[in-house]
Amino acid sequence: MNIINLAMANIRKNKSASVSLFIFILVAALLLNIGLMVITQINSFFDNKVEQLSDPHVSIMMDKASYHADYEAFLANYSRITNTETEEIIMMGSAKFDFGNSELNNSIIIFNAGNSRMMGPLKLIEKLNTSGANDIYIPYSFKTSGNYRLGDSFTIHYQNKDYEYRIAGFLETTMMGTNNVGVMKFMLPDTPYQALADKLDEQSDAMILSAVMEDKTQSTKLLNDFTKEFPQSVVGETTSYILGLDIEMVKSVNTLTVNIVATILVAFAAIIVLVSLIVIKFRVSNSIEDGMANIGALKALGYTSLQIVSSIILQFILIALSASMAGIALSYGLMPFIGGVVSALNGLVWEQSFDITINIVSILVVVLSVVIVTLLSAFRVRKILPVVALRGGIRTHSFRKNHFPLEKATGGLHFLLAIKSMLANAKQNTMILLIMIALTFASVFSMVLYYNIASDKTAFVNMFGSEPANVFIDVKPEADTREFLREIKQMDHVKKVNIFDLITTKVDGQTVYTNVTDRYDDLENNVVYEGRQPTHENEISISWVVSNQINKEIGDTVEVEYGAETKRYLVTGVSQSIGNLGQIAALTMDGIQQLQSDYQGSTLYVYLNDIKNKDFIKNLKEQYGDNIVETLDIDENIESQTGMYTAAVFAIMVMVLTITVLIVVMILYLVIKTMIIKRKKEFGVMKAIGYSTIQLMSQISISFLPVITAGVAIGGVLGYFFTNPMLSALLSSAGVKRLDFTIHLPTILILCVSIVILAYIVSLLVSRRIKYISAYGLITE
Amino acid sequence: MVNTIIKTEKLCKTFSSGGIQQHVLKNLDISIEQGDFTIIMGSSGSGKSTLLYAISGMDKPTLGEIDFAGKEISQLNNDQLAIFRRNNCGFVFQQIYLLDNMSVLDNVLASGLLVNKNKRELVSKAKELLIQVGITENSWSKFPTQLSGGEAQRVGIVRAIINSPKVLFADEPTGALNSSSSGSVLDVFTNVNREGQSIILVTHDIKTALRGNRILYLRDGVICGDLKLGAYSESEDANRREKLRTFLSEMGW
Repeated sequence: MNIINLAMANIRKNKSASVSLFIFILVAALLLNIGLMVITQINSFFDNKVEQLSDPHVSIMMDKASYHADYEAFLANYSRITNTETEEIIMMGSAKFDFGNSELNNSIIIFNAGNSRMMGPLKLIEKLNTSGANDIYIPYSFKTSGNYRLGDSFTIHYQNKDYEYRIAGFLETTMMGTNNVGVMKFMLPDTPYQALADKLDEQSDAMILSAVMEDKTQSTKLLNDFTKEFPQSVVGETTSYILGLDIEMVKSVNTLTVNIVATILVAFAAIIVLVSLIVIKFRVSNSIEDGMANIGALKALGYTSLQIVSSIILQFILIALSASMAGIALSYGLMPFIGGVVSALNGLVWEQSFDITINIVSILVVVLSVVIVTLLSAFRVRKILPVVALRGGIRTHSFRKNHFPLEKATGGLHFLLAIKSMLANAKQNTMILLIMIALTFASVFSMVLYYNIASDKTAFVNMFGSEPANVFIDVKPEADTREFLREIKQMDHVKKVNIFDLITTKVDGQTVYTNVTDRYDDLENNVVYEGRQPTHENEISISWVVSNQINKEIGDTVEVEYGAETKRYLVTGVSQSIGNLGQIAALTMDGIQQLQSDYQGSTLYVYLNDIKNKDFIKNLKEQYGDNIVETLDIDENIESQTGMYTAAVFAIMVMVLTITVLIVVMILYLVIKTMIIKRKKEFGVMKAIGYSTIQLMSQISISFLPVITAGVAIGGVLGYFFTNPMLSALLSSAGVKRLDFTIHLPTILILCVSIVILAYIVSLLVSRRIKYISAYGLITE
Repeated sequence: MVNTIIKTEKLCKTFSSGGIQQHVLKNLDISIEQGDFTIIMGSSGSGKSTLLYAISGMDKPTLGEIDFAGKEISQLNNDQLAIFRRNNCGFVFQQIYLLDNMSVLDNVLASGLLVNKNKRELVSKAKELLIQVGITENSWSKFPTQLSGGEAQRVGIVRAIINSPKVLFADEPTGALNSSSSGSVLDVFTNVNREGQSIILVTHDIKTALRGNRILYLRDGVICGDLKLGAYSESEDANRREKLRTFLSEMGW
């Protein structure tokens, strides 16, 4: 009981330091709990949603012309299938609509909401109370990321026509609720559905086959088996449109970003726990030094080291326990905000559940770390002899050094005194150094992340395997693509044009999305990270995912199947891509012509100079409208698709920078306040002999500058060199092996200089307390 | 011709606490002459230290004026007072207050470099003064905790006089020392005074008071006795002691 009273008395005595520590631990526990809850719950959340919404585990969509009754039979007879369903739908292969602040080009499938179905029935999160002739139900992500509200008008641009609707409800679906998988699910009430179906051509009449399995983790295998069984269904059919989705793939795509955000939260929580531990170590050391005589007296009276250590560490355990519990409680208050981010990223309404196990883990991680560090720091009490403690810690031998003797050192008086002060407080400065390194690294990391996702998106987009051209042109099959390319090259503002197709082939029996172009050197995004892209007709590059699937490496040969032809190719490089499930390959135009001699390509990527994409597209359509199936403003499409990532990363950056500022302010407040209290006598004497308040404030602030600058510099350098490797590690599960995010040096320099300036200003402001120390007060005390 | 270095007019200092006012110094008119070794005596709570710190610019008077070497200092702000102190005053404290994290020589230089930017000249002067007070070279790099009380106080005196202050103020400088250390410290005071240094020293120790040439006796914030003893001389010790005893006896000591 006495020890508890002593601990409480210590907390009261160091009120502001205790409050700072409480806040650090609270924030750390809060972030840790949120991060861990999201990481551990996201998979089961998604799985539960699939069950709740009765969503299919596999969906195969195709135009009616491509549909065969065999497909349905295959699904029905496939082992461990519990249910199948076939339904007529409307499919728009390439539709455009506004999403966020720009236009998105995506595939759309539209269901008739009036039909009854077992799989993926209409589940509305919000709906209008009145119904209208042009009502449409669109996924919830249109609300969370697309800036739409109930009752807003919604226009679909398809085959050069606009279709106007009123948003009557937001639906929830796991399968096609976001633009992450390339196709989105809409629903129309019976009347507008029939009206739309009447207006569209036959190509838009489509079928969807859905299946539910006993074990949905087998859904990927089912889809692969389907494509193996019906190779013609996905290979070489340029007029047909068949798309298969399995729930495991959709889950991995939709939860990837959430997992990354949550991992960053946990990593940052770890940094704050580290900061708290450093602060605790500093405070324990200080309290031992300050209470040295008391420790001696207690030892002399017969108290054991353990009893004395207990009285020292108990206060920190009490703070850690109460702060981490408060942090956990607060994390539940913040979960709706995090749930909003999760919803924006996967288009599902986040349902928060109470997770006592994770809460206990979070508390234990924080409290045990505190206990271990406190014990290690406090155990030096065991080694102190009572007589040494009673002498205030003065040992028989002293190895103190007089750093920078004023007689010999060069430099101004105040600068030298500041350096002396810095060197005399080596432990404290080591603490500040470590904290500044950690905070600066975290800040640089979040800044790089934001810069690459919000400002210069090149590297981020490259990660998906996309080619950063400006305009995409889908050329009509009857047009001469090569001739069309030459004509576009002659147009004003055109920097270059490449044929860049994405077709489906089979590589050693594995279905792979395969790029085709004339020369890969002419492209801007080199996705090969080992070896090189193909240059000859018998060469191919494959992604590392494909490499693992077929167990082939650079130098091996693989069998490529396209249409009815098969040829062997030499693997020259290994590539990476987040898009297309990481299953990509690349052939040259000469290479694909080995399989189909009249292959000419159908997609042109245009790179522009000094012209708006929209203006170019307008000119293009005016001149060559007859040659074009579809055009796409790639920049706008990227802008629209990355909008939700930008919001999530912006939230992370703001959080990291805010907490960085908060910690810098609190650490300096804590350290300088402690320093002023400890050196009150010294500052009083200095005032007595004629030092002014501003001179002493400058001395204090300057004494922190070298260590802060060093910490910021080291943290900045670490951030500069290790942000990409760290992000690569975070994204490796998504298919990224090598990451080349732009490390924009000026941004990092501005950030680092800002942290140093902030720290200097905070030091100056906190050291203003010295104003209240009077030389006279020193004497009369 | 005698020059007045400090002159106060109607100097008052009042403290208030919990609504109760305590008038510690009451309308003091004092003149301190240049070169004097002035001793302020009085019983505990009589206002000796308050007077010392008021006239040295360490504290501000409640009322009244202080003319210090021709400069009115009672209206200066804190930073102006700091600059004033560094140029005009030296302080020696009972608790010595050397800076723990600095060596002996750095303690002296930290004060000297505030005023004198010629480091070479200053270092030479500091070493000379340290030798004069008996602090030999092998102690210059020691830290204060490695010195005896007497040695530390002698370093304190060198720190106080390194800028050749117009007045050296000392508050019970021997209060924390044993008698042999006290003797050596007082000898330093006597020697610097003989070289023309004005000193104002607060004490309640007769041995220390004997070193002064003028004794001001303070009671309840008022100067009630002013004894001229003349310059200190070891040979006249008995005579001075008697004179002082009589004076103090009259003052009710």
